[in-house]
Amino acid sequence: MYRGLLRTARQCAFSLHQTGALPPKCDNAALPVFRLGRSVGIHPFNTSSTSYCENKENAPAPPQLKDKEDAQKDSASLAAPTDQAKVEITAECEGTNLPDNVPPPPQAKYKEDAHKDSDSLATPTDQVKVEMAAECEGTNLPEQGETLLKTPLKTEEENQQKTEERQPRVKTGKESLLDLLVAMKVDVTTSKKRSKGTKIPARHEPTVTPKPAAMESTHSMFQKATVEASIQSDAQPSVASLSPELVAAASAAAASLPDPSRAESELLQQLRQHEAEPEDHKRGEANNIGNIIADMKVGRPAPRQHARSSNTIHFDEDGRGYKKSLFERKRLGIFNPATDEESTDAAIAGPNLWDTEFANLLVRTANHMPRNGFEEMIQWTRDGRLWQYPIDNEIGLEEEAAVAFHEHIFLDRHLEEGFPRQGPVRHFMELVVAGLSRNHHLSVRQKTEHIDWYRTYFQEKEDVLKEAAAFLN
Amino acid sequence: MAACRLACSRGLNALYSTLGAPNQALTSCWGRVQQVRSYYVDWRMLRDVKRRQMAFDYADQRVRINALRKNTILPKELQEVADKEIAALPRDSCPVRIRNRCVMTSRPRGVKRRWRLSRIVFRHLADHNQMSGIMRAMW
Repeated sequence: MYRGLLRTARQCAFSLHQTGALPPKCDNAALPVFRLGRSVGIHPFNTSSTSYCENKENAPAPPQLKDKEDAQKDSASLAAPTDQAKVEITAECEGTNLPDNVPPPPQAKYKEDAHKDSDSLATPTDQVKVEMAAECEGTNLPEQGETLLKTPLKTEEENQQKTEERQPRVKTGKESLLDLLVAMKVDVTTSKKRSKGTKIPARHEPTVTPKPAAMESTHSMFQKATVEASIQSDAQPSVASLSPELVAAASAAAASLPDPSRAESELLQQLRQHEAEPEDHKRGEANNIGNIIADMKVGRPAPRQHARSSNTIHFDEDGRGYKKSLFERKRLGIFNPATDEESTDAAIAGPNLWDTEFANLLVRTANHMPRNGFEEMIQWTRDGRLWQYPIDNEIGLEEEAAVAFHEHIFLDRHLEEGFPRQGPVRHFMELVVAGLSRNHHLSVRQKTEHIDWYRTYFQEKEDVLKEAAAFLN
Repeated sequence: MAACRLACSRGLNALYSTLGAPNQALTSCWGRVQQVRSYYVDWRMLRDVKRRQMAFDYADQRVRINALRKNTILPKELQEVADKEIAALPRDSCPVRIRNRCVMTSRPRGVKRRWRLSRIVFRHLADHNQMSGIMRAMW
């Protein structure tokens, strides 16, 4: 239900990512982030911001430079579907860190501004903001983060609606997947988290529960996601129908906008369009992922910061999808890296017969006559008629150089099976092995072939040997 | 290279073409005109080429069977069997039948091993300054 809103919000963020410049709609929310970003650390998307957002001019003073903060902002910004989320998170992070350094007044001011906006915001987006806030909150101090959670969320939601309304876009495959993941994240709530209480519970839809406290683990997250996906699939059997909750959410969101009726109609149109897309494979994805994740162990929230940041999906600057650190901490096993490598290896695999035939055809048709002696010598070297300079005695024996010396010398292990333990044959074979161990010109493979040939030969001539032995004895 | 070799089989017997022409017949990539040979000098040279190829193919087998034959440890019965086996191999597989002929004229005698040329060809090329590092002796 909130997927539509999130998608549009995400689209705004994606445009940011790709173009590196804020669309005019996102300016409001973007600015404070950029301002903070510039002061704090390096954010690729932040550098392109130009406009300023009046709402956020009361943003707290630039936070102190801290690696943790930057990391949080990075992770938060990546995860947030919009700049607003970033704003919130950075503000939160900043707010939580502020007590250490900067006096709290900026926090209070920010809270006040956020509260003003809170009335007009729809409930569904609040959840997202709570989520976003929760990330940062978890990383810093849970108590402080909690209070800050609600305030930034409202403004984010407002801007989200605006951006979503103004910029409906066709979803790409990547965006759809990201939306799916964000949707999964958004819908996770547990009862005990709910009990922590927020100032927004009244406005939230009954089905959409807030996530005020830290999220436990990806396990519960994806479980909820599958449940949510299934619920949604059940709730929207027809192509163009929308669930009443979605409609209510859309109307509530539109109410905050300058032109409510038009906004609401556009929102509903977008939602219907998104619902019309094939949901089956998405549901399947969610279900499969849920099943996969359900089997995995639940992470401990003891290192709450790690749990928080791993719960959120942090998007990389290049839009590839997921940060490396996320996978290193908790492998979800959704994407098997080996398969990607195999597919790429198949593409890069050696030339097949058609390629060689084409290359030969090219060589035959295009007569590149050597224009001078240098080109002639180059051609000779390629043919193999001329040595390669500087002279290297071991040309063509690179793989042989990698073979260790003990494999050349200790060949007795090949005599353990297939040969008699005693007798003239054994004596003969020991001499053969002694000679092979001193042979510099054969490769290990050739030596083993030599011994194997003798093994088969003596096995064929067993009757002759027995006859000879009987004759001797 | 392979393309040149394959295309070079024109009007010759199949064996000859599979062995490959001794010279780059279709090397049209040379800027200057060169005497291009697409045949061996004579049939004796061709037969010598075949013997060399076969000796290479059977070299491992001959070495191993000869090792069985030329030792005093194994019973004589086995060595007699090995004798018969090596005699059963094709006659051209033994390296003794290879003759180091001159590569330009196929002359079987008077061939200097280092240059693979008969004395006459060697002298001809040296006099015309085609042999690098060769000069008339004078002391």
